[in-house]
Amino acid sequence: MVFSSLTFLYFFLPLSLLFHYSSRNDLYRNVFLTIFSLVFYAWAEPMWIFLMIFTAFANYGAGVFIEKHTNTKKAKVGMIAAVILNLSLLVSFKYGGFLYDNINYWLTLPFSRPSNTLPVGISFYTFMVISYVVDIYRGEIKAQRNPLNFLMFISLFQHLVAGPIVRYSQIETQIQRRTVDWAKISDGVSRFCIGLFKKVAIANVAGVLVDKYLNTQLYEISSYEAWFGLVMFSIQLYFDFSGYSDMAIGLAKLFGFDFHENFRHPYAAVSVADFYRRWHISLGKFFRDYVYIPLGGNRKHHDRNIFVVWFLTGFWHGANWNFALWGTYFGVLMVVEKHLKVVLDRVPRFFKHSYTLVLIVFSRALFYFTDFNQLGYFIGNLFYSKNAPSSGILSDITAHSFWFLLVILLCIPWDEIYGQNHSVRLKTQVVYGYARPVVNALLLLLATMLLVNATFNPFLYTRF
Amino acid sequence: MDKKVNVLLFFSLVLGFPILLLILPKEKASKDEKRKLAEFPVFSSQSYLSGIWTKLVDDYIDDHFPYRERFIQTTPLFHAAKGFQFKNAERVVVVPKKKEKSSDTKEENLDTLSFLDEFEENFSGSMLIIDGCVYPLGGGSPKMSKYFAKMVSEYAEKFPNVRVFSAVAPLSSAFIPAAKYKHFNVQNKKTLLAIKENLTNGAIFSDVFEELNNHATTKLYFGTDHHWKPLGAYYAYVAFCKSAGLEPIGLDQMTKKVKYNFLGTMYQYTHDPSVLAHPDTMEYWEPKVETEAYNLGAYGTTKGSKAKVFYNTSSGGNTYSTFLGGDHPMMRIKTSVKNGKKAVVIKNSMGNAFTVFLISHYEEIWVVDLRYSKQNLTRIIQENNINDVVFAIGMYAAMSNGTIGMMRRLAIQSGNYVAPILPEDPSDEVLPAVNPVPGVEDTLNPRQ
Repeated sequence: MVFSSLTFLYFFLPLSLLFHYSSRNDLYRNVFLTIFSLVFYAWAEPMWIFLMIFTAFANYGAGVFIEKHTNTKKAKVGMIAAVILNLSLLVSFKYGGFLYDNINYWLTLPFSRPSNTLPVGISFYTFMVISYVVDIYRGEIKAQRNPLNFLMFISLFQHLVAGPIVRYSQIETQIQRRTVDWAKISDGVSRFCIGLFKKVAIANVAGVLVDKYLNTQLYEISSYEAWFGLVMFSIQLYFDFSGYSDMAIGLAKLFGFDFHENFRHPYAAVSVADFYRRWHISLGKFFRDYVYIPLGGNRKHHDRNIFVVWFLTGFWHGANWNFALWGTYFGVLMVVEKHLKVVLDRVPRFFKHSYTLVLIVFSRALFYFTDFNQLGYFIGNLFYSKNAPSSGILSDITAHSFWFLLVILLCIPWDEIYGQNHSVRLKTQVVYGYARPVVNALLLLLATMLLVNATFNPFLYTRF
Repeated sequence: MDKKVNVLLFFSLVLGFPILLLILPKEKASKDEKRKLAEFPVFSSQSYLSGIWTKLVDDYIDDHFPYRERFIQTTPLFHAAKGFQFKNAERVVVVPKKKEKSSDTKEENLDTLSFLDEFEENFSGSMLIIDGCVYPLGGGSPKMSKYFAKMVSEYAEKFPNVRVFSAVAPLSSAFIPAAKYKHFNVQNKKTLLAIKENLTNGAIFSDVFEELNNHATTKLYFGTDHHWKPLGAYYAYVAFCKSAGLEPIGLDQMTKKVKYNFLGTMYQYTHDPSVLAHPDTMEYWEPKVETEAYNLGAYGTTKGSKAKVFYNTSSGGNTYSTFLGGDHPMMRIKTSVKNGKKAVVIKNSMGNAFTVFLISHYEEIWVVDLRYSKQNLTRIIQENNINDVVFAIGMYAAMSNGTIGMMRRLAIQSGNYVAPILPEDPSDEVLPAVNPVPGVEDTLNPRQ
């Protein structure tokens, strides 16, 4: 199930809220939330739910074991065993086919290619449990003694499918007891509606244009169209993912949880490093705390550490070499930026912002095309194409002109420009305070309209 | 206070719609979409574990969401608000491939296709909109024509005493009224001529393109629908008559009728306001011939339900169903033309408007929809002493692996459903293909 579906919005969500708020008892609330989370996961993945439950209980046991043997070798062995188990499951289910293809290319393997589908959310919950056992080993958190509570932490439907990667330490106390009031629920409602709007009215609209300009006959497109397609893909990626994170954060609030922010206006970044401090923050922090710093951080082998982190970040995004290339691309950029820091600090902000955007938009090509032949052809088109732009691109730009304006407005970090006590901010908050019930209702209805229309299926696909 | 209002308003919406869904009466079919709406699925552990049950529940909620049609009709306002919309501006829109509905094409529904009508292909890709008319941007590929021609030729070889005709309709892209799209005219022509060049065993080519092209200044295709207008079908009939040695009946010798405000499939694809502003008018002609028609269902050739050649009450989105009442697996038409001649028309929906003109020339016509009929066509042709077999199919479908596979299946199936050979994706061939079409050679290999 996904948040942006009618089934979720109008059946799962109201039912889960009704059950949750039907009792003031925290135990019952946790039981309801766990059951609903499992139903949520099993809606699309009835079989893979057992893998998720196994992962949860294995790490629950590991956590108790590590804590019991704190400061002994057994704790270290337990932690390493748990990490290896988690990574093995991730590698088997996510990278099995990829590894098979690559090994089989050189050596003929005596068994057939694994054909499983990717278990939904495995990349996210694996990192959650890894951070959990490592944090216990480091003595930063206490192990959760109640297996139900731990299963709830792992399976919370708000973060299960697409993150953010929630650390146990962030919601440790909220797992036991949550306080909710009108203000928090209201904030949750607003955040959820904005996220839903971003996903349905921005990302999905951009997605149609991405399909038109990138999923096409590449030998026919002009450089303008190639760049336009990449910009659309950049918009789609950001609004899709950040919209989903907004919805997750909003939904968490509805049930009394506080998740950390996962995006902070990344397209306002003034360097590539700055971009990734604003983009998918929970993933960046995971790699920082569990890979980069243990490798030595900026104290020793700094460049190597950056490369390793970005190579892994690339592969985390998908089991294909283009993702490794994408990660390496950013590794190189990070290292170059680091060495040019003195120069870059002196150039105007506008220049820094522009070069960052160009490099980020270009990187989307490495992310989009999993086929290297297509990628090579497309990059060639980006910089030189004999094709003249079609009339369609102009009509697409004019037909989306207001929409583009809205996209730009939503990418601007207004909260950074107008600080906490800025008069503009305070006045806006007062006005928005009154308007937001209506705004949220309209956003919800608009999203509903577009979701209903997405089910409009006049052309019967005949399965022959 | 505003916080409470915010929360309560949100909750009343997310609770209100499901309550409405539960209490409001449910439609069984969508008139606009011409399809049956999903039914609530029966639960079984097997369907649940395979993930089908949950998908069917999603489909059910999607299909029966309160005020669904109202929401759909309001959507163009959002699209219009995205930017400047120049009235009648020329533009290209991309129709994404629609998701496959789990509830579609159940075997048990094949005998009652009242809502399938003409929706046989999953049109997708680039569509050009000019002056409120929609044209698919493509023109087929001569490579695919070769395979289609080979299949038609196999029929000619199998039935040496029967005349076998290929009467494939071009796409409306052949007649886009703008010079810069003339290359689609050429592409359509090349694709169809490639059929002619590859026909063997005495199979006969009806030059539908040439006849239509000679009248290209007249509007031959609907602007809001993917079918040809009856006038376009008439010129195809003239082309067929020329190739079959028949004298076509003049339009003035038939009864002319008109229907207004037709918004067809192309509007449903695009929901474009300029298309909405240009609904089609359909002029059509009824030959002055008495007929008696029966729908025979997918499996039976003896029993049948009474049917008509012209359904004059079809209107709105169903206007094109005026001809034969839409698509049915098999229809048998007996006419007052007592010349002893019998024809089989193997068609998709493009053939419906064409077939109605043939009643002036045959005593009996078997209309076979190659997608839905499960009967063995060989037996029907042989047992009924058929004289002519006509393949009257739109190019979009004719050039697909699926159709070629189905043409083979029709001739060899035993009366029970036989899966076609490798019909991987029947929809992706006519519009210029991004990838080559795998498996085409295989579909032409005899099964045995």
